[in-house]
Amino acid sequence: MTEFWNRFSCNRQAVLGLIILGCVIFLASIANLIYPNDPFLYSRFPLSGPGENGFLLGSDSIGRDVAAGIAHGAKTSLLIGLIATIAAVFIGVIFGALAGYYGGLVDDILMRVTEVFQTIPSFIFAILLVAIMKPSIESVVIAITVVSWPAVARLVRGEFLALKNREFVQACHTLGMGDLRIMLAEILPNCLSPIIVIGSLMVATAILVESGLAFLGLGDPNVMSWGFIISDGRSMLRVAWWICTFPGIAILITVLAINLVGEGLNDALNPRLRERN
Amino acid sequence: MKTHKFIKFALTTAAISFSGAAAQAQQAGGSLVFLVQPEPPTMAGYVSTSGPIGLLGPKIYDGLFDYDNDGKMVPMLAESVDVSDDGKTVTFNLRKGVTWHDGEAFTSEDVQFTIMDVLKKVHPRGPNSFKEVMSIDTPDEHTAVFNLENPAPYMLRALSSYESPIVPKHHLEGQDIKSAKLANSPVGTGPFIFNEWKKGQYIRLDKNENYWKEGRPYLDRIVGRFVPDASTRAAAMEKGEVLYAAYNAVSNVEAVRLNKEKDNISVTTDGYSMINPMALIEFNTKEGPFTDAAVRRAISTAIDRQYMIDTIFFGYGKPATSALSSNFAATGLHASMPNYPATGDIATANKILDDAGYKKDGDGVRMTAMFDLIPYGEDWKRGGQYIQQVLGEIGIKVELRYEDVPTWLKRIYHNYDFEMNLNYFYQLSDPVLGVHRHYGSNMIRKGTHFVNSSRYSNPDLDTLLSAGMTEPNAEKRAAVYLEIQNILANDMPVVNLFELEFLTVYNTKFKGAYGSAMGAYASFGDAYID
Repeated sequence: MTEFWNRFSCNRQAVLGLIILGCVIFLASIANLIYPNDPFLYSRFPLSGPGENGFLLGSDSIGRDVAAGIAHGAKTSLLIGLIATIAAVFIGVIFGALAGYYGGLVDDILMRVTEVFQTIPSFIFAILLVAIMKPSIESVVIAITVVSWPAVARLVRGEFLALKNREFVQACHTLGMGDLRIMLAEILPNCLSPIIVIGSLMVATAILVESGLAFLGLGDPNVMSWGFIISDGRSMLRVAWWICTFPGIAILITVLAINLVGEGLNDALNPRLRERN
Repeated sequence: MKTHKFIKFALTTAAISFSGAAAQAQQAGGSLVFLVQPEPPTMAGYVSTSGPIGLLGPKIYDGLFDYDNDGKMVPMLAESVDVSDDGKTVTFNLRKGVTWHDGEAFTSEDVQFTIMDVLKKVHPRGPNSFKEVMSIDTPDEHTAVFNLENPAPYMLRALSSYESPIVPKHHLEGQDIKSAKLANSPVGTGPFIFNEWKKGQYIRLDKNENYWKEGRPYLDRIVGRFVPDASTRAAAMEKGEVLYAAYNAVSNVEAVRLNKEKDNISVTTDGYSMINPMALIEFNTKEGPFTDAAVRRAISTAIDRQYMIDTIFFGYGKPATSALSSNFAATGLHASMPNYPATGDIATANKILDDAGYKKDGDGVRMTAMFDLIPYGEDWKRGGQYIQQVLGEIGIKVELRYEDVPTWLKRIYHNYDFEMNLNYFYQLSDPVLGVHRHYGSNMIRKGTHFVNSSRYSNPDLDTLLSAGMTEPNAEKRAAVYLEIQNILANDMPVVNLFELEFLTVYNTKFKGAYGSAMGAYASFGDAYID
């Protein structure tokens, strides 16, 4: 573990990313303490600039506090990113593992199914899914999961293909281990590092997709999120720049931070690749 | 011949200048590019009253009459109209020498066919507007005699080219009206001829050289552009790429800014008096949490109407004070009612619910409900979010639902699968045309859009609505509508929120399009570019 941390901290950008990400998580966890009111609470002061009428980052068209929205939206964005990623990794690992391990017909069928999902542009597919189900937090998570898992499946299949003929796996066969045990206990731990890296990057993508959906008006209207604030303020950009700008910056730095952390994880988990720097 | 035409032209121009309708000389030529938002599904204004069709249809099709800003009837295809003393025979004297865009002559048979076979059958509001018309006689090519079962004074308010376009019989006869080809390649008698429809981009209309009105239209071409993004629409207006944008195609916030910052861009609320739009909440009165009128009254009492107007619509609008719009005050029909406080009264609303026996639980919640929002853009979403907060204060916890247009229409008007719904209705130029469809038992028409989705049914009210429809005496009619408004202020199957004021944003070099009460839904025959 120490060795891992040492390798991770060699990458200063990754450490910076981790610090920013920590701040965002901290903000999300104390949102209810610093802004105990509903972030949708309207006020009598619409379109106040930053600092005016007690709004740190200004207020939006019906007088909602942008800062409160960002704090509460952090919770939503991180949660959606995390849940969607876990679900996508779970499905992707199952598909990839079965396809890679068994090969042949199973591989053919599973990979053709995966390709069907991969041929549809992912964001447009997500829009379609959310539009069919009614826009809600669940449908957004489902949509992001559905468009994200094929990449994991492809990756895991490749790893399984490479590992399944290695000596240690063949040794397991000779010992009479069951397929399931070989897959879960032997092969999977050995391809965990690329999965962790792709997973961390997928959290960033998921946050972007969620914001994109909310921006297009396909977010859950009952849940505050960054994309929601931007979508609401977009038409007022010329008169109230602060509504879009601050949540936009929040998305930018969060996604950047997650990407940096992902990069750092990649370096730390695959030390041999580090020489490319 | 040429001189003769010129003199006539000069005379018309002089007459108009004299009447003060236009101070400068009109110039012929030029193209008008204006915003049409969203793209219309078809051009069949005789089947659908959808807004974007109204922006283009009346340039192609004429009505029997137009209406000026004072509500006076202006002759179009009909030169005059005579109503018999008993009100049951209405004779239209039609204009002579009018031809369709394909060269065929326009005759009284077209009028007969339009009313009896098209508008009365497939138009959303036609069955109401022409309900009393039993038959139409055509003694000669230029006379159409409407035989009415009962007097129908409101019918004369529904003759504009938007509300009742006259269509060519020879293009529709013997066909299924709803699927006829005319819907996508319209042929009318109007000042502009349909030329091209580039899907997703624009519809182009060209000048009708044989228009019946001498010297009109001035414009050579009209192009209706479709721009899906709101900010791009505002930018196009700002840059002068488009000269005219009605029905909030440029959002209020941008309109206010452009009006302030740009010398050549102006805004007006004229041109919507015949439309008379009202923002409202429809309730499901048959099942769910809103079957009790007390709850609906409490909601009407809690909402701060003025706040919604000021913050969401930037000051454009008027708080509703009754089931009828205050625009009906001109005909004496409107009366202010209790239960419509302009600024909202949370304490009273809470008391109404306490008295009705709805107890708050530990979290201050009396009941929960699903709130559907009209999917026409973010103003309505914001309105819904505001109402959600206010209802929270009186213990009604609502969840918002925002779907696409077809799903939403199906939910509200086909399946009645809703509890409360934010919407707006056109009350039009007479309550019979725009208001009755909300409340009458006979207007519970499953599958027909924008009628009585509350399924509110009250025999007393039905009797009064029938009386209001046929009562010729203005004072007696006002008394009937006073009673109607009393009942509705108490029962509130629909809570009226505020009278919307649509904004038209225009470039000041585009002139002459503001004389008709139909506003953007008028023909633009007199419009020109300076």
